[in-house]
Amino acid sequence: MEDKYSSNVLSGGKLGMVEVPNSRLTRYIVLLIITKILKALGIFESYDVLKVVHIVQFIFILKLGSAVILLFFQKPFSSGKVISKRQWIKILKHAVFSCIISLLGFFGLTLCGPLRTLLLFEHSDVVVIALLGVLFTSSGGGPSKTRGAALFIIAVICLLLFDNDDLMAKMAEHPEGHHDSALTHFLYTAIAFLGVADHKGGVVLLVVSLCLKVGFHTASRKLSVEIGGAKCLYALDNLVSAVVLLPWVIVLSVTTESKVESWSSLILPFAMIIFSVMILEFYVEAICNAKMETPRCARYGSIALILSGLLLANFWTHPLTDQLRSMSKPPQQVSTEHVLSGGVIVSAIFFIMSSSILSSPSRKGQKGTLVGYSPEGTPLYNFMGDALQHTSQSLPRFIKDSLKQILEEYDSRQIFYFLCLNLAFTFVELLYGAWTNSLGLISDGFHMLFDCSALVLGLFAALMTRWKATRIFSYGYGRVEILSGFINGLFLMVIAFFVFVESITRLLDPPNIDTDMLTPVSVGGLLVNLVGICAFSHAHAHGGKSCSGHDHGHSHHGHSHSEHSHGGHGHSHGGHGHGSHGHGSHGHGSHGHGSHGHGGHGHSHGSGGGGMNANMRGVFLHVLADTLGSVGVIISTILIRQFGWLIADPICSLFIATLIFLSVIPLLKDACEVLLLRAPPENEKDLNSALEKIEKIEGVLSYRDPHFWRHSANMIAGTIHLQIMSDVVEQRIIQQVTAILKDAGVNNLSVQVEKEAYFQHMSGLSTGFQEVLAMTQQMESMKYLNDGTCIM
Amino acid sequence: MLPLSVKDDEYKPAKFNLLLKLSGWFRSILADKTSRNLFFFLCLNLSFAFVELTYGIWSNSLGLISDSFHMFFDCTALLAGLAASVISRWRSNDSFSYGYVRAEVLAGFVNGLFLIFTAFFIFSEGVERALEPPDVHHERLLPVSVAGLLVNLVGIFVFQHGGHGHSHGDGGHGHSHSLFNGSLNHGHSHGGHDHKHGNKHGHGGHGHSHDGHGHSHGGHGHSHGGHDDHCQDELLHTPGKGSSKQILQGVLLHIIADTLGSVGVIISALLMQKYDLMIADPICSMLIALLIGVSVVPLLRESIGILMQRTPPSLDNALPECYQRVQQLQGVYNLQEPHFWTLCTDVYIGTLKLLVAPDADTRWILSQTHNVFTQAGVRQLYVQIETAAM
Repeated sequence: MEDKYSSNVLSGGKLGMVEVPNSRLTRYIVLLIITKILKALGIFESYDVLKVVHIVQFIFILKLGSAVILLFFQKPFSSGKVISKRQWIKILKHAVFSCIISLLGFFGLTLCGPLRTLLLFEHSDVVVIALLGVLFTSSGGGPSKTRGAALFIIAVICLLLFDNDDLMAKMAEHPEGHHDSALTHFLYTAIAFLGVADHKGGVVLLVVSLCLKVGFHTASRKLSVEIGGAKCLYALDNLVSAVVLLPWVIVLSVTTESKVESWSSLILPFAMIIFSVMILEFYVEAICNAKMETPRCARYGSIALILSGLLLANFWTHPLTDQLRSMSKPPQQVSTEHVLSGGVIVSAIFFIMSSSILSSPSRKGQKGTLVGYSPEGTPLYNFMGDALQHTSQSLPRFIKDSLKQILEEYDSRQIFYFLCLNLAFTFVELLYGAWTNSLGLISDGFHMLFDCSALVLGLFAALMTRWKATRIFSYGYGRVEILSGFINGLFLMVIAFFVFVESITRLLDPPNIDTDMLTPVSVGGLLVNLVGICAFSHAHAHGGKSCSGHDHGHSHHGHSHSEHSHGGHGHSHGGHGHGSHGHGSHGHGSHGHGSHGHGGHGHSHGSGGGGMNANMRGVFLHVLADTLGSVGVIISTILIRQFGWLIADPICSLFIATLIFLSVIPLLKDACEVLLLRAPPENEKDLNSALEKIEKIEGVLSYRDPHFWRHSANMIAGTIHLQIMSDVVEQRIIQQVTAILKDAGVNNLSVQVEKEAYFQHMSGLSTGFQEVLAMTQQMESMKYLNDGTCIM
Repeated sequence: MLPLSVKDDEYKPAKFNLLLKLSGWFRSILADKTSRNLFFFLCLNLSFAFVELTYGIWSNSLGLISDSFHMFFDCTALLAGLAASVISRWRSNDSFSYGYVRAEVLAGFVNGLFLIFTAFFIFSEGVERALEPPDVHHERLLPVSVAGLLVNLVGIFVFQHGGHGHSHGDGGHGHSHSLFNGSLNHGHSHGGHDHKHGNKHGHGGHGHSHDGHGHSHGGHGHSHGGHDDHCQDELLHTPGKGSSKQILQGVLLHIIADTLGSVGVIISALLMQKYDLMIADPICSMLIALLIGVSVVPLLRESIGILMQRTPPSLDNALPECYQRVQQLQGVYNLQEPHFWTLCTDVYIGTLKLLVAPDADTRWILSQTHNVFTQAGVRQLYVQIETAAM
């Protein structure tokens, strides 16, 4: 009868897997990113081509080429509805507008270079609409959207003001005769009339045409429905605009002499531009918008585009890429035009941030704690007072809140102060190193920064532990601290390993070390770390609040243990700890604390107690390792100076590595045990006696599957099945069992009470598995007949 | 009154004899295909490292010695995987009431972390070198990295092969997933199921190994019968199970990372020799570090989710519907404190409390609730029924 039912592996996909798995989306994201990179390439390419080809001819060729390809794919004439005359007129208008917009866009491209065009012109509609919504309507969408809009505007201003483009100076003495058509001449004079430089004019032009483009897209939505799909409209639009541009192109090519030597060499670039800018991007964006939600698509797209633009801008004029681009192009006379500048990079970062903020959907209902489920199965949240107030957090408030949270509790406060101290020391070191131009100091500073990461991790874990349970993490985030302790421990192991390896290589071949600089720095580091050790071993003491405060140095370890295991029996912990832990070999207990004066305390088992906050232990060990490192450096420095023993350094580090290694092992072991769902060792005895008591409760036949595991430092979860006689009251038994196990320390318990009939049902289920299965399915189709005999 | 448990000495050998212990471990390593593969590859790797080390010491070349230590470090990943695949087959005892199955998740996590560390170190070194490209002695670099590449290629091959074992093992899961849908036409739909499983879990690396496995399915069809009886046993005894996807994913990622590293070194060495592009080396290593980092993230996220008792992502959608169905049962007032979590790959455990009417038929509610959640794929369910006060 034992274990009979619980293995009915009906793990069917009947109910789940409605959502598109993430892996399938990744494909589209990758596709999107590749397309965007190609598009960036295409735009850079077209900038080069535009230097040779007249802009109108360029656009004509683009439109014509894409129209041919699109007509081939879409076949708007053979398939779909017949287009009426009025619709043709609409399409004509549409095409004229699109011609104007692409003229403006590409003219902006010639003015301010491909990178800036990418930054300004290629934002998706969602972003711009959100931006305009914030700017021109009162209901923008909360402070986050406002922040996004502000970032966007700052980015544009950055491009306008702080971007000292080299080209600006060059273009300032623009020879007037350079303009080769009436149109460009007109635009140039218009821009000059506004009183701004070409480059800035280009920026303004691009922003204006971006707004126009978005408006145009929105307006054309209706038309596209009438025609029969956006793709169809796009194909027709390209065709018609090619036709519209045709006379102009003919006139141009008759009146002006072309600068192009051979059109055949331009075929490849044109094909590439048409493919990447006009066609591929359109299709992929359509697909991605259909598969993912538009904002997400926009976010990934814009980030990919801007980043690839930055990269390309860096490498486009590089001599290496010149070799790669084998197409015959006019030799690049100046490689410095439209180079990267600080302003551009800053504005690119701002653009990325703003587009990701603006395109993120406004979220709601994620704060608050889950209280249960409504009868319809939708989750119910409990919005506590403050959770309601900051539904969208603003940055200063967020910082203030998290600071408050950090300072609220002892652990995180300790870590935070120590982190501040460490960071201050690091910065002093870095500054001093930069000032005196000493590489050693700087690298040591970076090493310290790296160490700080462990502290940051610990701090973050200490904060996260206190997050409320959500629907997904139904037990709360308490395990973070164990994970963080584990990660810190592993980290230390890796470091110890590397130190070990390096010291072995040095042992074979001891290098010359200049000892002059080492001592002050390492003494400073030692001091900082000693403060840390004091603080954290203090934290140990406070971790067990039962500590009576007398004679800290000696007593706290034993006490900190006793808190979790058993509130009541104050004097049994000594034997207890020894018995259940069995790792009396606390290397660090003796060596690390030697400086604190518990030299003789071989039995300082408490710090190894599973109940001790693993996170704090991890951080403590890390600090300890650092301290040991500085002590080792000091000792070896002294030895080298006094006696000239170059071998002292590797031996010291070898020793230290071993010490770190040994001291980390207990932490890792404990964390592993918790992560492997071991029954908490310090409660094991209590649990066993509790189980015995449960068996003795009147009416209980037996129990099975008792599972108890520690979830976090102050939560032990447990589950148990009870078989009871059929004539006892279940509630009484549940209450008794809960009370007994609560005494044993289990504070998240679920008891399943089973009576005789349940067994029969379940045994039936597992013997005649197929039949029961079929019946269950039948029952499902019958929508739950209301009597239990159905499944028997 | 003693707690009931099965003492099985095969998996936890007696402590007095070290030799016995070792041979027991050895046997349990060789018992399973995946751990055998892991073991052999570990041996290969170790021997390569030793050869490198001895040759390095003999020829007094520091670079070779440090490279061999790097290899040793790599071996830790394999060792972790191996240890996990052995440990996860241990029986459960009083302390570890769920058994040691979580070791596999932990191993995947550790491997992922190590990879992240490695990627970070490589990246920082790459940045450092990009700022001031050092003179690399590329004449000696090439043979070592080619040899390393060969070893790693063998590893990839072995684990693709091991992917067979993997898909064997998981074939069972694929079935247990689909049992409910496909039980009526149980006989011949295996291939399709297996594919579905492969897709669902998205380890494309093993993709092709799913194909040729018609032969093994029959066996798995049978093994259901065995599975169905004992959940605990089922968690522990299935041979394919011990080597589940987290371990393999971690190990494979590690090996792929190593291979990429060797390829990068070779490419950059070639570039440096031919074109004197000193910048190629740091760029290569940075790219590789990024690649490693990106590829590790899903593994890490998944294993952290499991270790933190997250509600299984595959149940995310199914659960609300289940709650709804349970709450529609007659007599159920409310559903409280639902906790669902993953024990190891594809084993979900849940607890919940039901508030029921005083006159409700608790047995029926209990069995119905069990039914509902078993269909969603929850293997072990604990339902605490509380009667509402009148």
